[in-house]
Amino acid sequence: MDSRDSVSSDSTARDDDSVVLSVTSALAKDALSYFQSAKFAECIDILNQLNHMKPQDPKILHNMAIAEYFKDGCSNAKKLLESLNYVKKLSEELAAAAKEQVEAANPGTNVSVSKDQFDSTVTTLNIAVIWYHLHEYTKTLSILEPLYQNIEPLDQTIALQICFLLLDTVRPCRDAVKFFTVFDYMEKAFGGGFGSQEENGSTMQLSSNQVSKTSSLLSSSVASDTLQSDLTAAESSLCEETLDYDNVLAEIAAEKRMKSVGPIPANNLLKTLSERSILSVDLKLELLLYKVRFLLLTRNLKLAKREVKHAMNIAQKRDSSMALHLKSQLEYAHGNHRKAIKLLLVSGIQKDAGTSGIFNNNLGCIYYQLGKYQTSAALFSKALRSCSSLRKEKPVKLFSLSQDKSLLITYNCGVLYLDSGKPILAAHCFQKASLVFCRQPLIWLRIAECCLMAFQKGLLEEGNTSSDRSEVKVHVIGKGKWRQLLIEENGSVELAVSAKWPKLSLPLARVCLSNGIYLLSGSLLNGSKSDLQSTLSLEMKETKEASSSDHGEANTNSDLKETKGGMNQAIIQNSLSAFKDINSRENQLLKQALLANMAYVELELENPVKALSAANSLLQLPNCSRIYVYLGHIYAAEALCLLNRPVEAGAHLSPYLLGQDDFKLPFVQEDFDQWRVNISFDCEETWDSSTGNARDSVPLKPEESRGALFVDLAALLATQGHYDQAKPLITHALTILQNNVQAMVTAVYIDLMLGRPQDALARLKQCSRVSFVPGRLDVRAS
Amino acid sequence: MASEDFTQAPRPSDSVRGLAQQEQEDRSTMIMKKEETAIVLSLLKSDLRPIEDVLSEFNSKFSRPRHFIDLMVLRGTDRLIAFAIIYHCYSSQKPSVNPFVSDMINAACNEQLEMSERAFLLHLLQWNSYNNANEILKQSAVDYTKSFDPSTHDFPELGELQREYGVKADPGPSSHIFAEYSLNKLLHDPDVPRGCDPNSPEFDVQAGGNFKIGSGDRDEAISGILSNLTIGGFGPRWIRPFPPRYPVHQSELLWIDPDNKHELVWDDKMCADTSRGATVRDLLVKGLKVTLSPTEQEVITTELANDPKLVYHCGITPRKLPQLVEHNPQIAVEILTKLINSPEIADYFTALVSMDMSLHSMEVVNRLTTAVELPKEFIRVYITNCISSCENAKQQDKYMQNRLVRLVCVFLQSLIRNNIIDVKDLFIEVQAFCIEFSRIREAAGLFRLLKSLE
Repeated sequence: MDSRDSVSSDSTARDDDSVVLSVTSALAKDALSYFQSAKFAECIDILNQLNHMKPQDPKILHNMAIAEYFKDGCSNAKKLLESLNYVKKLSEELAAAAKEQVEAANPGTNVSVSKDQFDSTVTTLNIAVIWYHLHEYTKTLSILEPLYQNIEPLDQTIALQICFLLLDTVRPCRDAVKFFTVFDYMEKAFGGGFGSQEENGSTMQLSSNQVSKTSSLLSSSVASDTLQSDLTAAESSLCEETLDYDNVLAEIAAEKRMKSVGPIPANNLLKTLSERSILSVDLKLELLLYKVRFLLLTRNLKLAKREVKHAMNIAQKRDSSMALHLKSQLEYAHGNHRKAIKLLLVSGIQKDAGTSGIFNNNLGCIYYQLGKYQTSAALFSKALRSCSSLRKEKPVKLFSLSQDKSLLITYNCGVLYLDSGKPILAAHCFQKASLVFCRQPLIWLRIAECCLMAFQKGLLEEGNTSSDRSEVKVHVIGKGKWRQLLIEENGSVELAVSAKWPKLSLPLARVCLSNGIYLLSGSLLNGSKSDLQSTLSLEMKETKEASSSDHGEANTNSDLKETKGGMNQAIIQNSLSAFKDINSRENQLLKQALLANMAYVELELENPVKALSAANSLLQLPNCSRIYVYLGHIYAAEALCLLNRPVEAGAHLSPYLLGQDDFKLPFVQEDFDQWRVNISFDCEETWDSSTGNARDSVPLKPEESRGALFVDLAALLATQGHYDQAKPLITHALTILQNNVQAMVTAVYIDLMLGRPQDALARLKQCSRVSFVPGRLDVRAS
Repeated sequence: MASEDFTQAPRPSDSVRGLAQQEQEDRSTMIMKKEETAIVLSLLKSDLRPIEDVLSEFNSKFSRPRHFIDLMVLRGTDRLIAFAIIYHCYSSQKPSVNPFVSDMINAACNEQLEMSERAFLLHLLQWNSYNNANEILKQSAVDYTKSFDPSTHDFPELGELQREYGVKADPGPSSHIFAEYSLNKLLHDPDVPRGCDPNSPEFDVQAGGNFKIGSGDRDEAISGILSNLTIGGFGPRWIRPFPPRYPVHQSELLWIDPDNKHELVWDDKMCADTSRGATVRDLLVKGLKVTLSPTEQEVITTELANDPKLVYHCGITPRKLPQLVEHNPQIAVEILTKLINSPEIADYFTALVSMDMSLHSMEVVNRLTTAVELPKEFIRVYITNCISSCENAKQQDKYMQNRLVRLVCVFLQSLIRNNIIDVKDLFIEVQAFCIEFSRIREAAGLFRLLKSLE
């Protein structure tokens, strides 16, 4: 069997087919043009004809599904998804069958067959698009990954679309590494030929497979005087602090007179794509905007500023709303809140129903940073309202669904509620948002904090606090050869498995904290915060490494080659590695917080063994903040007391001893400031603690912490019978913590043990937090 | 019980702890209800009924014992009944299980107490000859006290009893130092004047009489204590600082960026001309067998240049590459250069390395090195293969071998001159090769080049 034979038979078959082919391809063209002019019924008619001629052709079925979806007013995403999944399966089966057939006909040889016919890339991409719009980012990513692995042979349009979708999918999870990998590839693959083409204004011809159904939402005909009315509407919803807002408005109005606001956004790369061609300038702008996003993500504000300027220059003649919006974000990150507000308003995104929620949310973020929490809350809830109105739109369009950012806004609300001391509402928000952020350790810490705050405020339901039914307890009784284990059966309550979130409780806090610690240990190992690392295949990592090593070599050249605003791989690489450093530092801080909370929760749940191990791991962390070192020691000491190991407990307190009976401050106020700044920004420009997040969420004061050391050591000594040593300590403690119940009780105890009930009673009488309750009236036996 | 002296420091753990029966399941019921208090109080007062009756009534009223009486406030027959109740609650178990056994033992050895009470306790504890507890319980408390004959009793030492009942046994699983050292919560009010004997009738409330300062009703005190007492002692307390809330980082608040509109895509390959690149494919199939004419090569090159993705569809697989290299090295270079970003490029390289050495394959590799950046490992393996092919060619044909050696030498010189390879990596290997074939002029030339670089 010669392969030549098969080739010749192939070509004769091709001749026979050519008539049919010309008919079908003409029909296909008609279908496309109907589709592009939104005549879906006609389009489907033609597709039906085609289907008749070539039954079970996956591509016809695919386009039919798409056209039907649009014909139904984009209302049935579920049906579309089902059809697409069917098409995908079908093309895979056909491809496999075709391969088998070829191999059977030509054993040993590898006859060239165009794979196009059964290629399911477009179908797969569309499935990913649907999941993306449904906010299922993990799923989207898992579908896109394999496409990205094999992106090289794909047509440019499809490749671009895959890349942009990947970037937008990775962004909500702040996976800078992944973002960079994709972005870097795009710059290499699509960003290369700019220079000369740009000057000619030439266009890059791209194939015409883009749906042209976008314009309805973004009408560019918004008159600029609607700005004022919009703002007044926004203003009326703000309950207070309108004064500031007024000022800003006035400034805006003044500025508007100076320079007319550019046309309102209609620019969107993919819309332009639908017009069959893409101006390379547009692509360049788009890539630049993503670059700015990357730099903002990695907090390289300096470079971001430069790139944004560059983007503004390009965008000037066209639509600059995105660039303005990014500039606003930049100023926000810099702490120039007024400027950020101005830019946000000028960007004009508030005018569109789809993006007004985003506008309100971002404005809410700015007001939060300004310390105007009520305004911020009002803005967030307004943002949520506009999102829910998007959801209620009939019929529900896939695209409006993706504009519904309520999960992200809900997270912001959670932060705000937690700040204003409403743990139950806050937890509700975080739990909703966990759909997107469940792989971020921080959200677990926040939910645990909600539990703890509710516990502190006595909002937990009875029975949740003391008897912990989520674990089996095994008591160790006796020592040495007499050691026995006593298993206590408690009737366990499953916390994590149930679909519904359980009520706030300390056991829930424990579960959340251990989730956080688990996620953190994973991401610390990987050296990055990549939430989606698990879906990264090995190959992906290799490409990443390969590409980064490329840069290493290219560095020397690129510095020379670099033109203004051009690519500068070295700087990008640096900002990526700087971001990794920031990340690992933040993760360290986060880990300290998680472990300290864990130790506290375990103590509250009467589980000293686990509390001790959490406290010990906290103390073993490198570069631990002095605040957490203190907490680690004091929790460990208490756990050791509960385990009847008073000597070791004492060893935890003794580092703070000054001489025999005095304590130094375990930490100073500056430690707190440093802690907050560390976590807050490290932009060198302006971090002003007065305008920053100055709301003190921290009840821990250095002096009080010192007092606690006195009380605890006194208690420890008292249990060992050293009342005389304990006495001066507790007296000292009471001068620091005048109204502390624990200190008072310990003092009374010591008085009693020293045989001075009079003193004890006097103490009780002095303390304002003691009430003498009269006995109940006579209950004589009847 | 005036005899308890509160001026002494209470001893932890040995001190009268109150009578607490722990019922772990439900702490909220630990405090007695008002009616229950009244019942217990009335039971304690029924000193004329046989103690057995009292006990059975207690049993019927309270399903499980969970009550506690502070003995020091009780007196006389009340104490007997109280002890009987305590004993009774634990009668089915060994005495050492009873949490109050140490209190009972202490009382039994307390010389200041009534003999009758101590004997009563010894009966309950079933100490040696005191074994007729059941007899005694049939009597009423008053009868027992009246009929008590101190002369017939002898009292053991405290230590003896403690040894017997293992009072110092393990304090239990949940105990820790704070609990262990906790004190009795009930405190004698130090404001009551010292030396005031509560037993003296002077300060008892007189029926219908005037209210005297300092007068008090013992029963009221008992019921008050009963209704307020909970288990657990009063111990030194530990301050457990609340962990501070993690500060909100600016980037924690989510700034939202409007997305691109990711639209559904129409598949424009539908019914498309599947003959895309058919000419090229056909030509390439031919090219696997024979050398293509310059015109044919030209066609392929132009088509590949026009459609950058065509190379992925042209049908040249790694398996077919060697054939193409042999017949049309220039086209092979063209295709490999375009495939350099392909995920499958490694397979093509493997195919190239493992094919037989020839002028054409070397030409392809040499030209590739100038066009694209090749993996170092690939070049190294390729050179090693070249050298070993020369050595293996010995058996075949001297002429062929010489030719191959000369080719390899020229190839290596070209690589070295173009800085494609670092000589250091392969120095020994190449040097040995030069020495082995030093009879050939090109090898000597290569050797000199190596030396000059050294």
